[in-house]
Amino acid sequence: MRARLILAVALASMPALAGAQSVVTSPKADKVAVTVYRAPYGQGSMDLNWLQGFAMVRETRRVSLPAGESEVRFEGVAGGIVPQSALVEGLADVVEKNRDAKLLSPGTLIDSFLGKRVHLRRTSIATGAVREQDAVVRSSGGGVVLQTAEGFEALRCTGLNETPIADSVPPTLSAKPTLSVRLRAARPVAGTVTLTYLSSGFDWRAHYVATVAPSGDRMSLFAWLTLANGDETGFANADAMAVAGRLNRENVDHVEPEASAIAITCWPSQRTDQIPEEAIPPMAAPPPPPPPPAAMAERGGEDIVLSGSRIQAQRENLGDLKLYRIPIPVSVAARSQKQVVLLDQPQSHFALLYRWPSFFQNQANVPMPTNLVLRMENRTDQGLGLPLPAGNFTLFTARAARPFLLGEGYMTDRAVGETVEVIMELSPSVTVTQRQLTTKGSEGETELTVTNDQASAIRFEAEFKGDRKPLGSSEQLTQRDGAYRWTPTVPANGSRTLRVRYRLRT
Amino acid sequence: MRKFLLLGCGLAAAPLFAQSAIEPVLPSPSRTAQGDVAVTIYNQDRALVQDRRELTLPAGRSRQEFPDVSAQIRPETVTLTGNGIGIVEQNFDFDLLTPAAMMQKAVGETVTLVRINPASGAETRERARILAANGGVVMQIGDRIEVLRDDGLPTRVIFDRVPEQLRARPTLSVTLDAAHGGRQPVTLNYLTGGLGWSADYVALFDEPNGKMNVQGWITLTNRSGTAFTNARTLLVAGDVNPVQQRYRGYALPPPPPPPPGGMVRAGTESAGRERLGGFYLYPLAERTTIADKQTKQVSFLDVSGAPADRAYEYRNPWLGTVDQPQSASSVIRFSTGRAGGLGDALPAGTVRVYQRDARGNPQFVGEHAIGHTPMGSSMSLATGEAFDIKIRPVVAERTRVNTSPRWRTRMLYEVSNASAVPVVVEVVQQGLGGDTRITDETMKSERLNADEALWRVSVPANGRAALSATFDTRY
Repeated sequence: MRARLILAVALASMPALAGAQSVVTSPKADKVAVTVYRAPYGQGSMDLNWLQGFAMVRETRRVSLPAGESEVRFEGVAGGIVPQSALVEGLADVVEKNRDAKLLSPGTLIDSFLGKRVHLRRTSIATGAVREQDAVVRSSGGGVVLQTAEGFEALRCTGLNETPIADSVPPTLSAKPTLSVRLRAARPVAGTVTLTYLSSGFDWRAHYVATVAPSGDRMSLFAWLTLANGDETGFANADAMAVAGRLNRENVDHVEPEASAIAITCWPSQRTDQIPEEAIPPMAAPPPPPPPPAAMAERGGEDIVLSGSRIQAQRENLGDLKLYRIPIPVSVAARSQKQVVLLDQPQSHFALLYRWPSFFQNQANVPMPTNLVLRMENRTDQGLGLPLPAGNFTLFTARAARPFLLGEGYMTDRAVGETVEVIMELSPSVTVTQRQLTTKGSEGETELTVTNDQASAIRFEAEFKGDRKPLGSSEQLTQRDGAYRWTPTVPANGSRTLRVRYRLRT
Repeated sequence: MRKFLLLGCGLAAAPLFAQSAIEPVLPSPSRTAQGDVAVTIYNQDRALVQDRRELTLPAGRSRQEFPDVSAQIRPETVTLTGNGIGIVEQNFDFDLLTPAAMMQKAVGETVTLVRINPASGAETRERARILAANGGVVMQIGDRIEVLRDDGLPTRVIFDRVPEQLRARPTLSVTLDAAHGGRQPVTLNYLTGGLGWSADYVALFDEPNGKMNVQGWITLTNRSGTAFTNARTLLVAGDVNPVQQRYRGYALPPPPPPPPGGMVRAGTESAGRERLGGFYLYPLAERTTIADKQTKQVSFLDVSGAPADRAYEYRNPWLGTVDQPQSASSVIRFSTGRAGGLGDALPAGTVRVYQRDARGNPQFVGEHAIGHTPMGSSMSLATGEAFDIKIRPVVAERTRVNTSPRWRTRMLYEVSNASAVPVVVEVVQQGLGGDTRITDETMKSERLNADEALWRVSVPANGRAALSATFDTRY
């Protein structure tokens, strides 16, 4: 017992011995701001186990420092932290910043006691008697070897109930991902420091929901901004923001957090016929590739938060990007999603049209469905006129006072003044049949018939692209941006036909 | 056999000996066997470690161990120097102390068995000689032969000692010949993998005032499996001739190619930094401990108010035509020169650009990798795409010129600007190699090289501009 007391004292004074500096621990942030950046090609719903965006986290923490040099440990930073990006501002001069990837775990704990003393506790199943003895950890790499007063033994290779017990946790191991800085202050100070860093494991999406008004020529365009945090660290009462637009990112190599179980390899363990392979020395192998996405991982412990009060994000320009700020502090919980209103434009003009992407795509003489396209002019006089970040698009109409899904699509980032087109679905009610009439050398004649089975007239568009130049046609073609278009209105329950002679540009 | 006999003599005293042996071998906390360590780290996963240790050597030949060398040491690069010391032989032992290795090495030796009766908890002690450890452990106990734990009952196996060649960590051992005995310094030099560094730059861009504050950090990463305690550290910027290293059968992945962009004109100025040959040297001001699995950052550059501006670029491939307008690249331009620039050479790394939001807090707006950059260079870093500035290139017309084998191609570039400030977009048409001529253009182009022509298109705030050019080409 006395020996153990002495050891405890020795351990407590370890940090002082190690660097002659005091250790100040900051367990959590007082104030957090999280700016989420999206994955460049993200579509659809997000998988919290495989978020490809990232976040910039800005934390304000209160610390008090003694005079001289001290190590400040910032606990509870995001696990996906890119340590290279960390910035510490305020209070004192930064001597150096460190990030230890080793977390407190059974394996790293026993590793840190290599060459040091632990207690080995054995409990007899028969009598319940507990016996403890001192032991020194002699190896922990491929199975634990302990030295006791009697000699060398392998941990848990005896068939007995035994476990090593440590007196304390070494100060370098933290339960949570930790960034530490060495600061130097001329005299004792207390105040706030700001910690800024990038972290992987975040993403956000815009999702547009459009509902066609009963009048049929307007729609209410509404969009959700969905933030996702796939990290093990949550942020309470955070200023949350999202950035739209595409940023350049580089592939930055960083050390993954390390936590492990105690390696137990025995010979013999239970019966002597269980002989392991030749002992393999640990290799200085290249780092393992990042884990693949857990395809059907359990979605446990996640919250999907829909804020009912309809908080709308506020937009501002950030350089050449768009920043959306959630106006009130919110909690960005670990492994959760949060939704707020991105935009709400109740009176937007739109047009629906059917498009055949290109002539000569269907020469099989069979009717083919066309694309239903939603077109909007992103201008104020059209009930829009605001930046539209890329996102999925869902179009509803009303049917007997219940919403009815017309189609879904995806749109890219659209600036003010642009024409926005979203391909919603393949429509079987408007079809195109193409018939090749003649082919002679580099010239030919083709016929395009478009049919409409709806009780109202529709707008149709087909485009002549590529290396064919029209020589003459039965209906008027318009030329724009190097392409020829046929843009007829197809009457209700009717059809239109175009004959065009063309020459191949060889 | 002789060894076995010797061991047998020691057996009676073994427990007592172990008891007393435990105290001296227990190292005091946080002590390392390393001496005065100096680490020189290059960019491509290589570092030179110099470790000056004080050793007490007997005169003549002796075997010395050097624990706490890097676990990724390249043993073929080890040199050991000292006054009047010659190296006889040098070994690097990977033979790890594990329960299995301990048993295999104990063949022919005697161990203590402690059997525990599961019903009563009573212990019986016996001495056993390990006969074989092949597919099971065969032991001789007195005059009977038994298989270890074949009955599945709890049995402790206590080894009197651990064979010398089994170690908790890879260890270097050297047999050396000392001219005189006593305490003396020896210096160990070796190359190791697992240590690397790069630079990280934090650029706070003040767009309205055309200024930028840049902080440079040296980022050290230690994956070597070993901590370097209280080390003097020197970082070398520059690529030492890369020799493809193989580590115990694993080929290291080749270094990635340098990313495009970055330096557009190389500088010719010398920075006020220590140099050796073509390398810039960055010594850390203080000794530091580089722990295993640690990323460490130390500041090396702090510049305020350097001029910087924003530009927009779009490069169109030959006959490039798009359905939907594309965003132009947003580029930050600055110089690393003494006059009007950062005034330093920049070691390779990543530049992260921040801009202040409406509340004055810095926000991340993109990053770009740079290579080793001499002082006086012109830099052009694409941080991302401009949301509001778009361009739509289309092939408006492409016809054969009569019967000649030449083509006439008319390109249209429509540039739009949804931002509230006028901008200039640099439109580059690529793929003009061969004898391409621009026969007609709505504004004057600048031929950058045989392959590329550049137009600087001014676009008013919330407005549009159009550019048209006709190319006469062989194809």
